[in-house]
Amino acid sequence: MLAFIIRRVLQSILVLLIVGLTAFSMFRFVGDPIDNMLGQERTAADIERLREQLGLDQGFPVQYYKFLTEAAHGNFGVSYRQGRPVAEILLERAPATLELAAVSGILAIAFGIAFGVFTAIRRNGVLANVIMSASLIGVSLPTFLIGILLIYIFSVELGWLPSFGRGETVQIGNWSTGLLTASGLKALVLPSITLGLYQMTLIMRLVRSEMLEVLRQDYIRFARARGLRDRVINFRHALKNTMVPVITVIGLQVGAIIAFAIITETVFQWPGVGLLFINAVQFVDIPVMAAYLMLISVMFVGINLIVDILYFFIDPRLRVDRAGGH
Amino acid sequence: MAELPVKAAEQSRLRVFLDSDVFYMFRKSPVAVVSTIVFATLVLAAVFAPLIAPTNPFDPASLNLMNGFTGPMAPNAFTGESFLLGTDDQGRDVFSTILYGMRVSLFVGVAAVLLAMVLGITLGLISGYVGGWTETIIMRTADVQLTFPSILVAMLIFGVAKGITPVEYRDQMAIWVLILAIGLSDWVQFARVVRGATMVEKRKEYVEAARLIGRTPYAIMLRHILPNVLSPVLVIATISLALAIIAEATLSFLGVGAPATQPSLGTLIRIGQGFLFSGEWWILLFPAVTLLTLALSVNLLGDWLRDALNPRLR
Amino acid sequence: MLRNFSYAALFAVLTPAAFAEDFKWAVTTDPQTLDPHAVNSAPVLGFLNNVYEGLVRRGQDMAIEPALATSWEAIGAGEGWRFNLRQGVTFQNGAAFTAQDVLFSYERASSEAADTRSWFAPVSGVVVVDDYTVDIMTTSPNPIFPDSIANWMIMDSDWAQSNDAGRPDKEAGNHATLNTNGTGAFAITNREPGLRTVLEPHNNWWGDATHNITRAELTPIQNPATALAALLSGDVDFINPVPVQDVARLQNDPNVNVIQGIEARVIMLGFPHEAEALKYSSETTDANPFADARVRRAVAHAVNVPAILQTTMRGNAQAVNQLVSPAMRGYSDVLGGNAAFDQDAARALLAEAGYADGFSFGLKCPNNRYLNDEAVCQAITAMLAQVGMRATLDAMPVQNYWPELRADNYDMYLLGWSPGTFDAEHPVRFLAATPNEEKKLGSWNFGGYSNDRVDALLPMIQSEIDETKRQAMLDEVAQTLQDETAYVPLYVQPLVWGTRSNIELVQRPDNFFILRWVTVN
Repeated sequence: MLAFIIRRVLQSILVLLIVGLTAFSMFRFVGDPIDNMLGQERTAADIERLREQLGLDQGFPVQYYKFLTEAAHGNFGVSYRQGRPVAEILLERAPATLELAAVSGILAIAFGIAFGVFTAIRRNGVLANVIMSASLIGVSLPTFLIGILLIYIFSVELGWLPSFGRGETVQIGNWSTGLLTASGLKALVLPSITLGLYQMTLIMRLVRSEMLEVLRQDYIRFARARGLRDRVINFRHALKNTMVPVITVIGLQVGAIIAFAIITETVFQWPGVGLLFINAVQFVDIPVMAAYLMLISVMFVGINLIVDILYFFIDPRLRVDRAGGH
Repeated sequence: MAELPVKAAEQSRLRVFLDSDVFYMFRKSPVAVVSTIVFATLVLAAVFAPLIAPTNPFDPASLNLMNGFTGPMAPNAFTGESFLLGTDDQGRDVFSTILYGMRVSLFVGVAAVLLAMVLGITLGLISGYVGGWTETIIMRTADVQLTFPSILVAMLIFGVAKGITPVEYRDQMAIWVLILAIGLSDWVQFARVVRGATMVEKRKEYVEAARLIGRTPYAIMLRHILPNVLSPVLVIATISLALAIIAEATLSFLGVGAPATQPSLGTLIRIGQGFLFSGEWWILLFPAVTLLTLALSVNLLGDWLRDALNPRLR
Repeated sequence: MLRNFSYAALFAVLTPAAFAEDFKWAVTTDPQTLDPHAVNSAPVLGFLNNVYEGLVRRGQDMAIEPALATSWEAIGAGEGWRFNLRQGVTFQNGAAFTAQDVLFSYERASSEAADTRSWFAPVSGVVVVDDYTVDIMTTSPNPIFPDSIANWMIMDSDWAQSNDAGRPDKEAGNHATLNTNGTGAFAITNREPGLRTVLEPHNNWWGDATHNITRAELTPIQNPATALAALLSGDVDFINPVPVQDVARLQNDPNVNVIQGIEARVIMLGFPHEAEALKYSSETTDANPFADARVRRAVAHAVNVPAILQTTMRGNAQAVNQLVSPAMRGYSDVLGGNAAFDQDAARALLAEAGYADGFSFGLKCPNNRYLNDEAVCQAITAMLAQVGMRATLDAMPVQNYWPELRADNYDMYLLGWSPGTFDAEHPVRFLAATPNEEKKLGSWNFGGYSNDRVDALLPMIQSEIDETKRQAMLDEVAQTLQDETAYVPLYVQPLVWGTRSNIELVQRPDNFFILRWVTVN
């Protein structure tokens, strides 16, 4: 058991290193930060000098090694563009992304489960079929287009909701929150719908199919035969039993929400880490890009590890299967 | 279902298919029939684009910039020419551009799914059948990739591929890099399903028997196990196709997609969204509706297939 | 006192409308630093002009006018310039402004670590005569020196040194990267890089405030559609730039005004003059057609500039026949028009040069640097194809673009040039002079264009004090560049700003947004 966990942790670390190396090798092709940092009147000598100062004249394995050793000491370097420690910038931007992800995640889960249960119970109903088809329209349009259309309708044409940003925020310690002001809440509406729509349809379809599966099981039929009321059967028995796979998928979707936040944040100028990353790509701010990708992969590998270990405890059958490696 | 095998020998394969439960269910489902017709029409229109399209938007010499921003069915103020769905900012006929763009989108989508499928099935079969360290390595990689967002994976691959491609080939490479990027970020679903099914199948007696009569593992995997895992693969492939088409559009929006001189539907939407506020709605609307129709028909088909091929849901 | 403050803050949160003269604006790029000597780029210098000031400044018509210096005169026969400083000026932290600050700012701005160093190449030394007089000595007579230092901003020497910001640091940053202490009309009260920057009026400013702003907030919005939506919905009061295609719609919206002007930036096509052969051709792999002036002239004839202006720029840009716009000092009035759009002439010139069947080549273009850059290149690709020059277009983000050009990976490229000095000498120095690393000449002349006469005229232009003689030499250079079609100048990029209709402001041709010229009605 302990051996299993240790092995998985070691594997995860190896994976992190490989992901980091791949990500780092990408920076060579994103572009060159030098011209962004020097003005129009720069000379070839200026370019050389700056290149040397930033360590860009060295091969990328050397740069990667330096980055890793520094990162191990908690030092992610200084942003080329902002001239400030990267860790500080990331911490500053994190609340915006986390609040957006949390709100859209909650929306997705709440509506996803509600619609999923509904469409499963009324499998052949008209409304259920309309919801199912409508949900497909949601996944058949790219996220960025949905965002732009929402802005066009609700900000420009109707003028109900703000088109960009977080609105007024309140600072609580190190955390800046938009959840406590009216304008902050209004600003959350469109981005969280844009971000949560895809996840909502995913959860809805999953709940529906799991629910249909469970409703056919003998114990449900038995419960029905015993004369239990539909509502009790549907919610207390059936829904409860569909939750295990749903929770697993939700866990895995946390990563997807954070990743798709890049697109949503770009469209809505939402000041989170996703927008920071896209800006960093645009200005070839290598320290910021590296730190962001490392952070994301640590998070994903961490989630994966936790899910695996949880499985290990929940499902005894997996112990033989997974721990044995066969 | 029980009497089918008896007659099967004397029937053509088509007959078998037409009499099958799946086809019966298909005929009975208006959604499936309509989405198939729509999808088939779009594919045919894309394949025969050079015959249908009034102009060739990929030939720069044929364009007249003065035709730019002509509205649908209204003559241009300078040249007097008129276009069914209007023109874009370069004076390209939107109708022709959509037909050609759909070709690019479908080609990228289908090729990416094929790549993901081949890769996923191969790795899934191997890891399910061989097990041991091979399985650990393959499935660990899959786990990580599944949690790592596909768009980021695609961006990574795009960045690296663009860097190692010689400068003079970059333009022609863009489409292939897209296929590689989307395909490589999509194989995990296939691998997981195939591996699971393989692990179940390989313990069955017929595989045991095949092994005993001396069939090679290669033959066993291809001849015996593969046919039995095809239906879930088909479902995933359909849904992946829709996802691949959307992914291509998203990558194009982020500026790492098909070039503007040879646009895909995604590139057209990226170009068109710049004119959303200025009143030239047709540059965005028509490609967007086409993309929606294409993805929706594929999704509906995949949805129906999943239910139809899952015997427990009947 | 503290309680009052928190009440005020609470009040501000609940009723933002209480500030009638609250002004919000959005730009594409956030100024990357607040250090006026660390980066020589328009977004940084333009923004900091509201906070810091130079000895001289540019007025609404771009003319040089007194700022921290009240007057200046040439010393002797051109040994340098004497500046008489304004008295009673205070920095935003209350410190007094003296000649020591000028000397310090010269040392800081011309130091090895400063990106503004090249401005001081002609300077041999700075002498403090007394507290309010400074002599700036030049190595040779330099008639345009006062013109060239309008963006040289003066920093408080005590403030900078006591905060360890004695020298700019654009890599790691220092106190001056995030904090400011200028003499300008506005002080920065809150800075969150990439998110927002808040400014409030400097109460002890020496000038008469003509604005009525009590608080201003800058937000960077990259996506042009989002910025436009923010303006239309009233979330911001001013955006720069407005996409040219949206001008017509904004003009029809009663809540919004569009302010148009001609920018200083000239968009042109560049060629590989020095290259042995084309890099991206499928058949012409052993020759370089663009080395032949007739082929370059054919390009000029083949490009339909009026159509680009009409369709892609929607009538918002202006054709140009030289490397600077008419708003610049030293613009050549006597120069004839460019090669007109004439496909037959283009084909004839190509045939004469031995390319009757045309040839294929690669055109490089940025896709996020100039207004509609990629669309313009696409249009040019189509126009050139019609006379047989078959270009493969490779459009890329600007961060990949400059390295490609520096590595000579192009057969033709698009370039925009805006002279920092507002003088026609600037592009000659950077784009037309034979590249010479030692003399810092031709550093943006990627194609290596070289003409002995132009090289000989440049130092004479730089030191000529007589305006007429100087103009004659600039005219000669412009004529030579046109005769040889060294570049194909296309058009001057338009400036398109959008405001809410209750805002009055002034647009300066260098695209600098000056907050003290804003009135909120």
